[in-house]
Order: sequence, then C-alpha cells, then structure tokens
Amino acid sequence: MSESDHTSPSEGGFAPSRRTILALGAAAASTVVTIRPAFANTAVSVLNCQIPVPSPDQAGNFIAADGSVVPPGTPGAFPPAPRPLTGEEVKALLHNGPTPAGLDADAAQAYVKYIGRLHAGTSGFTCFASLQMPR
Amino acid sequence: MAGPRFVADPPEAARTVALETLTAFYHAPSGTTHILAPPAPQILEALAGRPGEADEVLARIGERFELASDDAPAAIAARLAELEAAGLVRRA
Repeated sequence: MSESDHTSPSEGGFAPSRRTILALGAAAASTVVTIRPAFANTAVSVLNCQIPVPSPDQAGNFIAADGSVVPPGTPGAFPPAPRPLTGEEVKALLHNGPTPAGLDADAAQAYVKYIGRLHAGTSGFTCFASLQMPR
Repeated sequence: MAGPRFVADPPEAARTVALETLTAFYHAPSGTTHILAPPAPQILEALAGRPGEADEVLARIGERFELASDDAPAAIAARLAELEAAGLVRRA
C-alpha cells in the first residue's frame, strides 16, 4: 500500500533553478544554535581547540606582561607565541599548571593574561569561553 | 557606506553535514559544533577567507540566490551579529 509514497507528483515537473529563494529571516530570528559540551567525553575536542596569541589580525605584535598587544620590540614585552596554544594548555595555565613545552614561563603568563582579555568575535574567544563552561 | 568588515575561517577549518534544511557545522579552531539554519551557512560560505562588509555579503549571496527579505540590510546585520557572537565570523 505504501509504494505510492516513493513518487511525489509535485516533484515530477520540478526543474532545479539556479536562483533558489533564500529567506534572510527577520532581524529578531535566530539561525545559530551552539551545541554545548555536556558530557566528559565531549570535552576532549574542546581541549584540542586552539588560541592564536595574538590573533591573526595582530600577527607579529608583542604581548606585554599585562596581556595587552604592543608593537614588536616593545621593552619588557614578549614575542608572539610560536604556535597557537591549545585549550588544554590554557586550562592548565589558568590553574597554575606547567608551562607548555617550548614556551618561556614569563611569556606564558603574559599569554594567559592576553587570552583572559579576549572578547566575543576575536579569534580564540570561543575556545577560551568553552574552557570556562562548567561541566 | 563603510560598515564593519567580517571574515570567516576558510572552508578547511570546518566540517559540515546537511541535515535536511539545517546544517551541522563543526568549527575545528574552536572545537565547537553549531546547528545552522539558512542563511547562516550561506553567509559563512560567502565570507570564508574573503573579508567583506554586510553589503558585499548580500551581493555575494545574491549571485546564487533570490534573496527574500522585507529589510535585507537589517536582516543581514542581525545574522552577522549572531555569527560573530557564536565565534564563527570575526571583524576583519
């Protein structure tokens, strides 16, 4: 009895149009839902996320001890991190854990302060925010 | 009119799976997964590695789609704000 389900009369004459209609939605509508990790095993991917120090649009600038981004060569400031820090490394640093391999201990503290100043929309913020979420 | 310029990560930074009308979007740099409704995936595609203002986003999407909106500038601004808050686009 269900064989007729396989054919849909409305699709018979349908010619795919290059100009598909795309509704932009109302200003108050929402089109993004972020899945928050709620289980211990999903935390793994969060800890593998990366935070560039500084963000790509500020590449080459130094990081001062207070976490601010300063011009290259500023006395007392630290060169950019040689590689993006992982969520796991940042989490450890936030809890006074070990300095990640290849990083100077004082520089790492400046990087952590920089990361603490990240705000929504900057590269690495989502990773940092996910570290703050209770699990 | 010079509004803020936005950019999304290049396509290789994400894995997407189409779920009928929705899109599951795994963003590797942040390690987070998002469920996107149109036109969010189309906006991310238009900005992937190519910075642009809201007007440019509309123009790029408009090349492939007939845009339906009572107030396209307000709608696209709202969508960009959402994507920025989710960490999927950033100021270029």
